[in-house]
Amino acid sequence: MATRRYFLRASALAMAGVGIAPWWLVRAAAQGGGRRKILVAIFQRGAADGLNIVVPFSEKRYYEFRPTIAVPEPGKPNGAIDLDGRFGFHPSLQPLKTLWDEGRLAVVEAVGSPDPTRSHFDAQDFMESGTPGRLAEDGWMNRALPAAADPSPLRAIAIGTQLPRTLRGSRSAVAVNGLEQFHVRNQQTAGILESMYATTADARLMTSGRETFEAVKMIEAITKAPYAPANGAQYAGEFGRSLQQIARLIKADVGVEAAFADINGWDHHSNEAPQMTQLLQQFGASLAAFARDMGDRMEDIVLVTMSEFGRTAREDGNSGTDHGHGNVMTVLGGAVRGGHVYGRWPGLEPEQLYEGRDLAVTTDFRDVLGELVAGHLGQPIDRVFPNYKPVAPLGLLRA
Amino acid sequence: MRPWTFAIAAAACVAASTAVGHGAARADQKLTRDRQIVHVLNRLTFGARPEDVEQVRRIGIEKWIDLQLHPDRVVENPQLAAKLEPLATLHLAMWQLLDQYPAVPAALNIKLPSSRAFAMLPPAQASRLMYCAADERETTLAALDPDTRKLILTGAPPQVLDGLSEPTRQEATAARKAEDEQRQQELRRVRPPLSELLTQDQIRTMNRGTLAEKTALLDSLDPAKRPLVVRALPQQALNEVPAWRREALAANQPQQFVHSELVEQKLYRALYSNRQLEEVLVDFWMNHFNVFNGKGPERVLLTSFERDAIRPHVFGRFHDLLLATARHPAMLFYLDNWQSQSPREDLPTPPGVRRPGLNENYGRELMELHTLGVDGGYTQADVVAVARAFTGWTIYDPQKFAEFQFNPGVHDRREKVVLGHVLPAMRGEQDGLDVIDILSRHPSTARFISKELAQRFVADDPPPALVGRMAATFTRTDGDLRAVLETLFASPEFAADAVRQTKLKSPLEFAVSALRALNADATDTFALAQRIADLGEPLYGKIEPTGYSNTSDAWTSTASVLGRINFASALTAGQIAGVTVDRARLAAADAPAIARGLLNGPASPSTLAALQRGDGVDNKGKKGASPATLAAVILSSPDFQRR
Repeated sequence: MATRRYFLRASALAMAGVGIAPWWLVRAAAQGGGRRKILVAIFQRGAADGLNIVVPFSEKRYYEFRPTIAVPEPGKPNGAIDLDGRFGFHPSLQPLKTLWDEGRLAVVEAVGSPDPTRSHFDAQDFMESGTPGRLAEDGWMNRALPAAADPSPLRAIAIGTQLPRTLRGSRSAVAVNGLEQFHVRNQQTAGILESMYATTADARLMTSGRETFEAVKMIEAITKAPYAPANGAQYAGEFGRSLQQIARLIKADVGVEAAFADINGWDHHSNEAPQMTQLLQQFGASLAAFARDMGDRMEDIVLVTMSEFGRTAREDGNSGTDHGHGNVMTVLGGAVRGGHVYGRWPGLEPEQLYEGRDLAVTTDFRDVLGELVAGHLGQPIDRVFPNYKPVAPLGLLRA
Repeated sequence: MRPWTFAIAAAACVAASTAVGHGAARADQKLTRDRQIVHVLNRLTFGARPEDVEQVRRIGIEKWIDLQLHPDRVVENPQLAAKLEPLATLHLAMWQLLDQYPAVPAALNIKLPSSRAFAMLPPAQASRLMYCAADERETTLAALDPDTRKLILTGAPPQVLDGLSEPTRQEATAARKAEDEQRQQELRRVRPPLSELLTQDQIRTMNRGTLAEKTALLDSLDPAKRPLVVRALPQQALNEVPAWRREALAANQPQQFVHSELVEQKLYRALYSNRQLEEVLVDFWMNHFNVFNGKGPERVLLTSFERDAIRPHVFGRFHDLLLATARHPAMLFYLDNWQSQSPREDLPTPPGVRRPGLNENYGRELMELHTLGVDGGYTQADVVAVARAFTGWTIYDPQKFAEFQFNPGVHDRREKVVLGHVLPAMRGEQDGLDVIDILSRHPSTARFISKELAQRFVADDPPPALVGRMAATFTRTDGDLRAVLETLFASPEFAADAVRQTKLKSPLEFAVSALRALNADATDTFALAQRIADLGEPLYGKIEPTGYSNTSDAWTSTASVLGRINFASALTAGQIAGVTVDRARLAAADAPAIARGLLNGPASPSTLAALQRGDGVDNKGKKGASPATLAAVILSSPDFQRR
């Protein structure tokens, strides 16, 4: 790492000396000491079925409730991958087992929102704004970014065509839908347009415009160098492409602090098993590839996955599941105290289920995110999760 | 006095009091009125074409709006009929689409004798083979003549082979392999691989050659061979030429072909129809009653859904629209209601057979998204009750006919309570019909629908007073959507200066309005549809039942701004395949004139200033940017993103 910083400084200064260093490179080099911590948030949209992702195979009720879609016990064909004798990964998550064994991947069980809504729309909005029960104008991750004198235009990035609610707010954040295409085709007009957007009376467009043109300049510089994932990492599918773009941007050392990507398709009301198998293949392979690609830089990165709520403990009439409540989150990174299932498991006995049908919530999702914001990014969380006091620390991060 | 005339009168008074002469007063009046015309066009259409402002001026705003509300009185654009004419699938019924465009192309659906073998057995034997213990099955098989046994072993479901003796299983494996080889042979005959049809050089040409080279090659093939080559090539190699693209898609991915015609008609209608309000409303209601095109076979059902369930009702009664969507197989499939069944504990269940049960998906979304809204006052108990009411609303033979069918066999016959209304037991299909009645008449529905319409046509955050009056009209007229729209369009809130240019165009609105502003001609919409998808709005492609947003915040982001800038430059440079821009039309003028032409009004001061500063830029090094470049810049400007 010392080598990289040295190289950066040397090259930036050398280039500055010749008068050709891009301004962002000079700034990154000048920021020198203190490695930047990065938080990556992954949203599984559609209410992912946590009970089939991290399988509570030691619960008899699990098998009783899900005669056709339960994941078999470890050891059986297509069985779960034993994690700790009580819980196991869905077999498609095999690529994540090594990270678990190395202690870099943690699972939090029975986590979710105190708000009872089972509407995708509302629950996603509440989780993304970090204010369950009330819609905020901005998102928790945007509020978690500290004020900065001269922030990098790429400090907060989301992969996709729209900026997610998670990253909306007073700090500037950029939605990127493909690094290679992120430039103005007709260079002659770029200047006029930049000027137009900078002076327009429409505040939304002015902000989007300014952020666009700054980001374009940075990304154009980045994409001049070709990219290949390191250490033979192999990303899978659309989700893999999103993570790869994040990896590339982080490695370009342009000041990324917060990154977001989402993955759709989890709303399995019918025929869940084969769809889950496929989706988790992409999910697991890509998360593992990201860790592999980032290599020792994972020391500075924490990646957290979440979904708006879980699904019913019992399968429904069509080998699927309906909207539920409690769910599972995973936390990945060098600083994570992994290899452990956190959270208090409430059990699946009918009287232990929420409203008699769903896994209960015993840990508020803000406890997890708050711990990461405070412990990893080093930011106070009273602004991030207003009117919320975390109950007790989970201990997700190493000291 | 109608708000329009009031506004004109007020403007006239102001103008008169400050004018330096009659000429100036008339000019001011015209300006204000023109701005109102442009506002109405921006909101009720997919974007004004150059001649539209003059047309509305001639007949008057009120009359024009009234015509749009009664599209049968509007003479349709003959160009539209010409564009839609080749799209034959648009007129087919669902059973015809399923028959002519099956999931697996007919030619590839090779049926060998084993698929019929089971059906030919006497029922007693068939049932023994399916359900009895291994030794019984073994005996039954041994009793068959060798040919029949071979066919049965080949085509039998796995449970028949479970636990059979090793020799029998080996016989089965051998028989299956033999039939598989037969199938492969037949496949190769029907769809020979590319390597058997073309030389390596020819394959390279088709993958990487110029259009002229590809055309020459295909034309040189003999008529029997050409279709086989088209079917064997990767779709990518053929997408450049609409005729090749359609031929390959229809042959290899029939259901995707049907969907592509649906997308084409949507874009042609938005671009060319004179009945613009109808098209805007079809788009609105398709979003409101969102069905995703990628979940499965219901992709081909979308053509009928839009044509038969949505379009006929956009100026009719909300109740009729709601009922039509509730009964349509596309919706029944998308939200899983077709599989929702009453858990009949009283019925015997054969061992190993699992009966499906209740599915709440449609029940919930019907109330949350289609009628009451998430705060409309329903509970989880209501969701379950509604789901129970709709059990039995299913699809008859979804793979062959996909017609609505009520199946009493899976209907929950017990009493239900929905939003306080008791639905007595034993009334079958009437349960669902009653729920539709209850929901269409519920005050929350009137408010929710009115608010959504006001969001689309007035403002992201519509004035509650307006929403209230629209809801009152809704209730008073028992859900007459035309009447609600009349209330909306006649309201002072709609005409208010404060709401002009405040909504951000969605990707569809942006792209179509750009083409309409340029009076561009589209002969193929494949590339255009792809670009709109890249801007964030794949048509018919919203996964979540919420549909695409009616509010602006969904569309402001860096990816969005950049995407639109690049779209505009590609458009005016003639780089969007299938779209031709008449550059001679732009030859006029200077930047402000071009801006006025495209925006139907003066550009904002900031835009004009930026143009002035930059007007010296040209890619040929000559002074002054080309009209095409200027047009691209205007279409990329913040001004054009708003409506």
